[in-house]
Order: sequence, then C-alpha cells, then structure tokens
Amino acid sequence: MGEISNNNSSAAGIDLSQFYQVFFEEAGENLESMEQKLLELNVDAADDEELNAIFRCAHSVKGGAATFGFSDVAALTHQMETLLDKLRRHELNPTSAMVDVLLAAGDALKAQLAVHQGSASTAPDTTELLFRIRAMAEGGNAPAAAPAPKAAPAPAPAVESSTLKSMPVPKAQTRAIELVVGPLEKPETADALSELFKEIEDLGTIEPLDAGRAADGMRRFRVVTTTSDSELLDLFTFHVARELIQLRSTDPGFGFFHENAGAPPEENPVDPGYGFFEPLPEPATEAAPAPAAGDTNDVAAPAPAAVAAAPRAAAKADAKAAPSPDQATLRVSIEKVDQLINLVGELVITQAMLAQNSREGQLNQQLLAGLTDLERNTRDLQEAVMSIRMIPMSMVFNRFPRMLRDLAAKLDKKVELVTQGEATELDKSLVEKITDPLTHLVRNSCDHGIELPADRLAKGKPEHGTITLVASHQGGSIVIEVRDDGRGLSRQKLLSKARERGIDAPDSLTDQEVYALIFAPGFSTAEQVTDVSGRGVGMDVVKKNITALGGTVEIDSAEGYGMSVKVRLPLTLAIMDGMSIGVGDECYILPLASVVESFQVAPGMIKTIGGSGRVVEVRDEFMPVIDLERVFEVPRFDFEHVSNIMVVVEAEGARVALLVDELLGQQQVVVKNLEANYRKVQDVSGATIMGDGRVALILDTGSLVRRSRH
Amino acid sequence: MHTILAVDDSPSMRQMVSFTLKNAGFNVVEAVDGQDAFEKSSQRDYNLVLTDQNMPRMDGISLTKKLRENPKFKQTPILILTTESSDQMKMAGRAAGATGWLVKPFDPAKLIEVIGKVVR
Repeated sequence: MGEISNNNSSAAGIDLSQFYQVFFEEAGENLESMEQKLLELNVDAADDEELNAIFRCAHSVKGGAATFGFSDVAALTHQMETLLDKLRRHELNPTSAMVDVLLAAGDALKAQLAVHQGSASTAPDTTELLFRIRAMAEGGNAPAAAPAPKAAPAPAPAVESSTLKSMPVPKAQTRAIELVVGPLEKPETADALSELFKEIEDLGTIEPLDAGRAADGMRRFRVVTTTSDSELLDLFTFHVARELIQLRSTDPGFGFFHENAGAPPEENPVDPGYGFFEPLPEPATEAAPAPAAGDTNDVAAPAPAAVAAAPRAAAKADAKAAPSPDQATLRVSIEKVDQLINLVGELVITQAMLAQNSREGQLNQQLLAGLTDLERNTRDLQEAVMSIRMIPMSMVFNRFPRMLRDLAAKLDKKVELVTQGEATELDKSLVEKITDPLTHLVRNSCDHGIELPADRLAKGKPEHGTITLVASHQGGSIVIEVRDDGRGLSRQKLLSKARERGIDAPDSLTDQEVYALIFAPGFSTAEQVTDVSGRGVGMDVVKKNITALGGTVEIDSAEGYGMSVKVRLPLTLAIMDGMSIGVGDECYILPLASVVESFQVAPGMIKTIGGSGRVVEVRDEFMPVIDLERVFEVPRFDFEHVSNIMVVVEAEGARVALLVDELLGQQQVVVKNLEANYRKVQDVSGATIMGDGRVALILDTGSLVRRSRH
Repeated sequence: MHTILAVDDSPSMRQMVSFTLKNAGFNVVEAVDGQDAFEKSSQRDYNLVLTDQNMPRMDGISLTKKLRENPKFKQTPILILTTESSDQMKMAGRAAGATGWLVKPFDPAKLIEVIGKVVR
C-alpha cells in the first residue's frame, strides 16, 4: 500500500484482492450449506426448494469465482451448476450417484479454495470429476474413468488450462469474434486463415477489418462462427504460430431493452443483436449474446476468451492473495451489533447510577470493592463491544491511489501517495462520513498544493510531489493528516485575498488564524480556477462536515515546502464526553469539545444591543448571549432567580455564551438518537440517560450558534 | 450525487459492486436480496437499480416487476446482472420492464462503462 503505481488492480484501478477474503468466507459458507443440503436431500422425493437452494450455492460460488479470477473454481462450479439446473428444472431426476459426485466436487472446491488462500499447496486434479458431472448432466451414467480426450481436428496446441480443454462444445452458438494475428513478417501469411473459411464448410465467415494490412505487421479480422475458440486455434496454428493469434469476444456482455424505461438512446438504430422475440439470434449480428463465462442453458459456450484470461488472474491471485489465510471471522448483521452497543450503553448507565448512589450512603467494604470491579468491567466491555463496529482506515485510503493517479494525469503533475497507519480503526459510521471530506482534502493537495514538475525542479524539489496520508490514535480521538510537499500556503496571498473578499483580516492575525481563512465560504487561493477542486467551494463544507462529526481541523504550512491538514475525530459517535449543566430543574449536556470556558457574570456585564439581542463582554470581545431558559422554555417557580453562569461554546467558527444556572460536572454520556425515537428537535442533537435515571438533552452547539446569527 | 440501489445476495459481489460505484462517485444503498431491495425502494429516490438475478426470497426479475408497479420507478433505469445471457432470461427481463442486462462476470471498468450509458 502506498505508491500510486499499484499493479494488483483491475481495469478500473480497483484492487480486487481486497474482496478475496470476503469471497473465501462466503464460498466456504456456501459449500458447507450445499454439503448439508445434499446430505439431507431425499433423492426419491426431492423438494423443489431444496434443489433450488443447492443450485444457488453452486451458482453463487461460480459468480464470485469468475469475477475474482479463480478460474478452476469457476470451471468446476459451472459444471455442477449445469447438472443442478437440470435437476431443478426436472429435466433429470436426482440419483444418489449424483449426490456422491456433487459431494466429491464440493470437497474438491474446498481444496481449490484452500490453495488460493495459501493454506494448501496442491490443487486436486478435477479432470475426472468434471467429466463425470458432465456425463450425468448429459443424461448418461458416470463411467468409471475419464475417456480419451475428444479427437481434435488438428494437433492440439497448448491450451491455457486443462479444465478448458475438457469442456465440451455440444450446443454451439453463433458468435462474432475479433481475430488479431501478428506481428507477422509477411502480413500476407494471414490470408491463409481467410482461405480456411473457404475450404471448410460450416466454419463461418471471415472478413478483414483493416483493409488488407497494417504497418505494425498486425492483421485484424472479424469472424462469425459457431466453432469454439480452441478448435479455431487448432485450425489456425496450421498457418500461424499460436502465440501470434488472439481471439477477442466482440460481445459487449451487456445490452439494453430500448423500449423500456431508462434505456440510453440507441447508438445504432439497427441493432438486431438485441432483438428479442426473434426465434434465433441473427448469425452475423454484432452483439450475438455469447455468454461470458458459462450459461446454464448453453453449456456449449463458456466463452473461451474469458476462461483463457482467467488463469492469468488466478496466477496473480496465487501470488498476491491470501493476505490473512484462514482468519476465523463471523459475519453478523449490523442490527445485532447495534443492539449490543445499546445494551452496553444501558449497562454503563446502570453502573453510573450505582456508583452515584454508593457515594451518598454508607456502604460496606465488600460492596464498594464490587462496585469498583463493576466499573472496570463495564468499561472494558464497552470498549470491546465498540471495537466490533471498528473498521480500518484502509477502507478509506484504498480509494485514493486510483483517484490521485487520474487526477495527476489530468493536471500533468507527478504525484506519489504514501499512506501510514491504514490499520488504525474507526467507527464504521464515521468512516462513511469522513470519506468525502478527506477526498476533498486530497484533491485539494494535488490540485492547489503540488506544483507542476518543471516548477518543482526549478525550486530544487524532486519532480514527484508527495501526498502523505497518516492515520493515528491520539487519546480518545483519531487524527488523520493529509500532508503534501507542494507550494504551501502564502500568508500574504491569503490576507490579500481575504480582504478582496471583504473578510476582516488584520495583519495581527496569527499564522494559524490566517490559514483558517481558507475555510471561509467562497474562499479560493488558486489563481486559475480548475475543474478539479472547483471554484473554492468545498473547504468550508469540509470544515462544516467534520465539525458536524464532533471533529476539528488544524492547518499548518510552510510557504514553499507544503502544508498539512490534520483532522481530529472522536472514535465513535455513540459515546461522547459531555459537560452537564443545569437550568431550572432541567439538565442539559454540552459536547465537551465545544466548551471553551465558563465564568460568573455580574449583572452589568450583559448589554442589550439594538433591541435585537444581548451580548456579554469577555476580554474586550463581545459575544452573543443565549438564555437557555428562554430557548427551551424551562418552567421556573422561583421568580427571584437570576442565572449568572456563562458557558462559552464554539461551533462553526463562532462563539456564543450560554446563560445557565449551574455547572453539574463532566462525564461520558451514551448518545441516544432522538430522531429515531421521537423526532428532530431544534437545537438538540440527541439525548442521554443520566446516572440518576433522568433524561438529559444533548445540545447542538452548531444550531445554537446559528440561532445567534439571526 | 446519483444514488444507486445495488442488490446482490453474495456479500463479496455486493462489496465489489458497491466499492466500484462509490469509487466512481456514486452514492450506494445496498440490499441483500429482492425483498430487502423492495423494502428499501420506498425509503428514498434512486437514479439506478442494479440487481442480481438469482437470489433467495425475491429474484431480480420479480423485483423489477414490483418496482415498475410503483410510479416512482416508472422511469428509473433497472439493470439485471446475470450469469445467464440466454434469450429466455432476456425475454423475461424485458417483459418485466428491465432497462438492460450485464453478463457476469464483469470487471469494475465494464460496470462503470455500462452505468455511464444510463446514468448521466
């Protein structure tokens, strides 16, 4: 992980190996389930649903195996699926011999998967199994041994895999393929291939795609045929060496029903290939639907091109897969985990209640010791349960190599990505929410931070810019840093830009405050607006999104050397450090992270301005005052009472002073969603249950700050 | 941002599809089978439904039929991912009102290419 040059990726730059482990687990479960169902199957009175379920197991394994490039697994499951499909369609009746063969095939699949996972070294030879299953699917009884391979029309060249060779071609389908030959010393050699189609009846048609010859010695033809790829190759190798021949499927592998909703405009108005109700597909159509890797009806055409490509992928998988062979894991639904978290939350509350009560009365020594143990165990249990929801940051980081590669190419820049601390874990819900802000920061670094290669060389920097992503735990938070060695932020430019935009920016601002200006709405320092990072919208949104997660953003920079943005987030949204405050008989919780300070006010410190609101002066700074008693219409019976404690909170870059009666203390609170249980309440982000069993509302400081602006 | 409802009973396929789509900048809602997808269909609007065919409880074609009964999904592109590209399957897909099909296995690039044709 780290460098942008990532070889282990598919065409879209997505590293499929990250899904291997899930596939192995899933395939293992499917095979277990299939085995169990096969063992329970009553062959004399097979239930349709049972047969369907068995079919689905094989089908699922095949789908995944084909997608992730485990061609041997795909080939075997394909054969099994063919047999099972006939069983569920009642074209064949199940026999105990079939069950035996399917069980044996299941064992072979497990062995194949073990090899891919790296926990076994030799894969079983499945040639005979494949043959026996096929024979059964074709309605015959399984002979004891595999027969001699079917006579080939020409000396068989090396075919990619033995499983491919043993696949029969009983029911051929017309398909169009592209034949590429070369490079040839004498391009006319390829004309001999055209001659073949004249000589051999039923071989199909061939037409050149390149008007004769190409300068690179490559010849291209379009072939429409019912003959399998391997047989075609056998024929062609009479004239041209095998390694100079490529067959490519021209079947796009997808299509649209143009009369149905949502279909794109037809690119080719005459598109008989997608014709539906015609009895047979037209032989010469562009998109004669050839199955890509096996079709339950047409065993005939397991698209040899796809199968041929698969062994390479599998070989790569062998080398690179199995990062953690045989890790014992268990998949459970997220609801179960959330329920567990909820229950632990209740336990924490009960424990807190007991702890509070124990302080009030005399307790015997043993009970006190027990309560201390309970507290520790509760905390450990809570941590353990919360960790279930934790997923590694690599889930977020993995998307960046590809994105940066594209971006760098677009901007003509050279960028390397270095990632550190991918194993750092974060709550699942946070991972989902932090992805977009991080993506924006990384894009920003590449677009605005990293200079063009020539500029970098001129400054004596390496041609390649480096963007570093670091995740680490610091106390109860996770810190994610996006760092680049680009041009950095220019204090002077930022200040002048801010003034242009009408933002108050005196020279006395500290560097940190100046850097923070980039979070102001509509601020952009790039001289050229690019289509990559947009028009300066975004950084303010990034900050807002991170703040909404209870996080903070810090910027540091050295002009000419780069900049760093540090995002600090709480580890989870389910528990929060809070400060409890009292207003009348009510108790409210403020997120501790947003509390700046608190102080007592003398009556004269609060001033009313313009009839619109009240402000308080704190060290020459005027802050809006919000009287919580009024906001929440707290009933009060002591009319003489005057609140005289101010709590200053900061959110969304602004501060307000909340007028409260008393400060009750600091504690961890378990956040309960109010929207899910009741409805959205203005200025409230959630609720919690206090140690004494009372419900306290958690205040949304962002919303309170916004309230003060109106 | 476009939101895609991705339906597959296989966790690995679902993860792969979902990751690919998110990587391409789509919002993704996952469903584990047709029934789950149908329940999720009412919760919000989708720009595309991408469904596996062979699933327990409710298959892709039945899902397509049920979705098309809902006026909200009258114009939503629905693509069926299938290992079968037989005419029989296509006939059923078309009759159900599906927008198109994509043959499995496909690679992520192919998926994005096909989606690009129906979602803009």
